[in-house]
Amino acid sequence: MLRTLKWSLISIVALFVIGLLHYTLPQHDVVRIVGANTQRIDLGENAWFFAAPDAGTSATVGNNRDVKFIETILASNGRPMVYRNEDTSWGWPPYFKVNSFDVQAQASDLTSTAAAPRWVVMTHYGWRNQFFTIFPNAVRLRVVDSPDVTLIPWASIIILSLLALLAFMARRMWMQFRERTIDPALEDAGEAWDAVDARADAARAQATGAWGRFVARMRGDRRPR
Amino acid sequence: MIFGFLRLAIVGFLVLSVVYLLVSWYSRSVRREWLEKRFDEGDITGERDTYVALGMLEYQQGLRRKLLILVYVIPTIVIVGIVYILNFS
Repeated sequence: MLRTLKWSLISIVALFVIGLLHYTLPQHDVVRIVGANTQRIDLGENAWFFAAPDAGTSATVGNNRDVKFIETILASNGRPMVYRNEDTSWGWPPYFKVNSFDVQAQASDLTSTAAAPRWVVMTHYGWRNQFFTIFPNAVRLRVVDSPDVTLIPWASIIILSLLALLAFMARRMWMQFRERTIDPALEDAGEAWDAVDARADAARAQATGAWGRFVARMRGDRRPR
Repeated sequence: MIFGFLRLAIVGFLVLSVVYLLVSWYSRSVRREWLEKRFDEGDITGERDTYVALGMLEYQQGLRRKLLILVYVIPTIVIVGIVYILNFS
């Protein structure tokens, strides 16, 4: 029972961390851009999955704003994919993107038809979900000659390696802390406890002695002098 | 923009300060352990405590401790780099 509980908790935490990483780390799609537009969005339940208002604009209007969108067709399966194109400014996730208008201009420039396609590697983060109307955020566009390019996710490799290194260092620091600070303190406590124990034993022996003397006196015994 | 930047700067500074304190404690602890072990190997004459204290004094004035400032410097460089690469190149 306790084991099940423990593993359930671990799974939930692991799922959360993996989900967070999958949402946040950059991914690449090869796409053909078919449109770039802006439309007003009244944010509701999906507000979490939109970034901040554009850098420098007012955030006081409430939960609606104009959001730039890039409409594309995926090269891999020919299905449509729509990206939002929002600044993340200085907030989360840490892409520090402040050039959404430039990205939008680039996307408009790269619009092409199925007859004369221009392929673009779209670096993005986030998820597309039709039930909540959420979109991945386009970060960077790069023109490629053919849709069959090999894409190596360098950024994710570097970030995950750094996270692993960080976890390893945190563990080493914790071990050091345990070895140098907690264990000696426990030893001290153990010694102190032993000392208390010993004193208690001595006191008990003495008390037994006194009680014994008392009982003996009640019985009228004479203690040997 | 300014508010967001200040928030990042303040929160970042606080987080990195915690990291700095932890790393500096760790570095000192590792150095002390190393000194103690070296003394315990037995080739060194004199008092153990004095030897360790002198070694720690040397560490306090050494380059290794000053390098801990990189805890602040590296993330700043990384952020500046990301801002430049993702927006202006």
